[in-house]
Amino acid sequence: MAQQAATKQRIKRIRLEDALNANVWDVDTKPHIIVDSEKCAGCADKACTYLCPGGCFTLLAGKVLYSYEGCLECGTCRVVCPKGAVTWNYPLSGRGVQYRFG
Amino acid sequence: MGLPAKFDVAVVGAGPAGASAAYTLARKGFKVVVLERGRAPGSKNLFGGRVYSRPLERIFEGFRNEAPIERWVKREILSFMTEDGMVSVEYTSNGSTSFTAYLSKLSAWMASKAESAGAVIVTDVRVDDVLMENGRAVGIVSGGDRLYADVVVIAEGVNRLLCEKMNIVTPLSPEDVALGVKHVIRLGTDKINERFGLDSDEGLAWFLVGKATDYMPGGAFLYTNSATVSLGIVVFLSHAVREVKRHVYDVLEDLRASLPFVRLLEGGSLVEYGAHLTPEAGLRMVPRKLYGDGFLIAGDAAGLLINLGYTVRGVDMAAFSGYLAAEAVEEAHSLGGYTSQNLSCYERKLNDSFIMKEMKRHSMVQKLMVKGHVFELYPHVLVGAAKRLFEFEETSPKLLEAVNDSLKGRCSRLRVLLDVVTLMRGP
Repeated sequence: MAQQAATKQRIKRIRLEDALNANVWDVDTKPHIIVDSEKCAGCADKACTYLCPGGCFTLLAGKVLYSYEGCLECGTCRVVCPKGAVTWNYPLSGRGVQYRFG
Repeated sequence: MGLPAKFDVAVVGAGPAGASAAYTLARKGFKVVVLERGRAPGSKNLFGGRVYSRPLERIFEGFRNEAPIERWVKREILSFMTEDGMVSVEYTSNGSTSFTAYLSKLSAWMASKAESAGAVIVTDVRVDDVLMENGRAVGIVSGGDRLYADVVVIAEGVNRLLCEKMNIVTPLSPEDVALGVKHVIRLGTDKINERFGLDSDEGLAWFLVGKATDYMPGGAFLYTNSATVSLGIVVFLSHAVREVKRHVYDVLEDLRASLPFVRLLEGGSLVEYGAHLTPEAGLRMVPRKLYGDGFLIAGDAAGLLINLGYTVRGVDMAAFSGYLAAEAVEEAHSLGGYTSQNLSCYERKLNDSFIMKEMKRHSMVQKLMVKGHVFELYPHVLVGAAKRLFEFEETSPKLLEAVNDSLKGRCSRLRVLLDVVTLMRGP
């Protein structure tokens, strides 16, 4: 029991924001993700809110809010959107996430 | 862009495929320009952590001595994980054919080799279109700039937006790709050696299926680098879109914070968190034609990657397809020009190489993996059997009894047999 408690104690969860902050960024001033909210409204599952690894898509009162600042440029949002509501491209001029390890 | 008005070859992307193509072409005397969207080659590249060496040694002179190799993989573990426990198969060896690496550094090294060989690398350039004239590729477009080349090697990566615009492929669907997310955790060389039982030049490659991904098809991985550990998960999007129950980051973070990883990685600090898509559909994702008038497609954009369940090959396949694209360009040049017909030798070269042979040979594994039940059933069967075998009180079961007990209620023996047959069957 004591050992279990000790194990539990040393588990420090890293929040997604902190994980993203471990990266080097040069965030673009212009968004490279645009969501068509009308098309988006017709989707029941909203898989993007679970599968975007940067947490760029969040639910608020049943609606998807999106941002591009934490975008890891993987392209998942575009692939999992069943409504074709996501217009996504790579940022311009080398902006965005700067992987040092990859 | 302030460059010469025309090149022999324009390569889109300075990843493993593009850099290999550029290096090979520059050494053959072609005037090559590489357009890379990142600030530096490699800055937009990310992968799991292991590379099979031989194909790269064939492409790059001095590879073994110069390349940024972290550790040679001499220890492999495959684990089946449930809430109740974990069953692992381990293999240790003195020899090694693969190494761990950081892809950003490996790509940067490859691009520097291409540059030394004479290729021009232009960074911060996102290619928006392949420039077409009379149905043939004649260069690239980036913003308002045009750059002309006799032939274009498209090594744009897995999202292949250019190929899509050119109507060569349909937009990626969840069935085509898997999502990989990864932590790089700095632990220090000594701790890594101690905790994983390694020498400084020995690496570990560890694959896990089952609970590690909430039983979603895919798997988790851990690779030891010199002073850091790469820990990540891969989920097939075809299943994840339906089966994901919580944020994918939490699945990874739960794995890191659970046994045995929480102990193995204790005291480590997160230095990078990244994500990338990976081709996962086997031959399904390979475009019908990998060449056309004035262009060739290589690497992830061509869908060239193999996931065998216990290991993944991507970088070596990408790099070698880039190398073959370069050879095809040379051959087409000697035939008089970069027509579709002259460039068709690329397909022949791919078919004759290990790339397409491997893609075809292992197509059944990929078919089995997308069935999905494999990732839930077998971890439970194996952990259940192990629990019966090892955790007895007075009466210990016979080996087969333990397996049969574990199978009971989970699936028929016929199901298992069918899976084995699927695996054994040729393409």
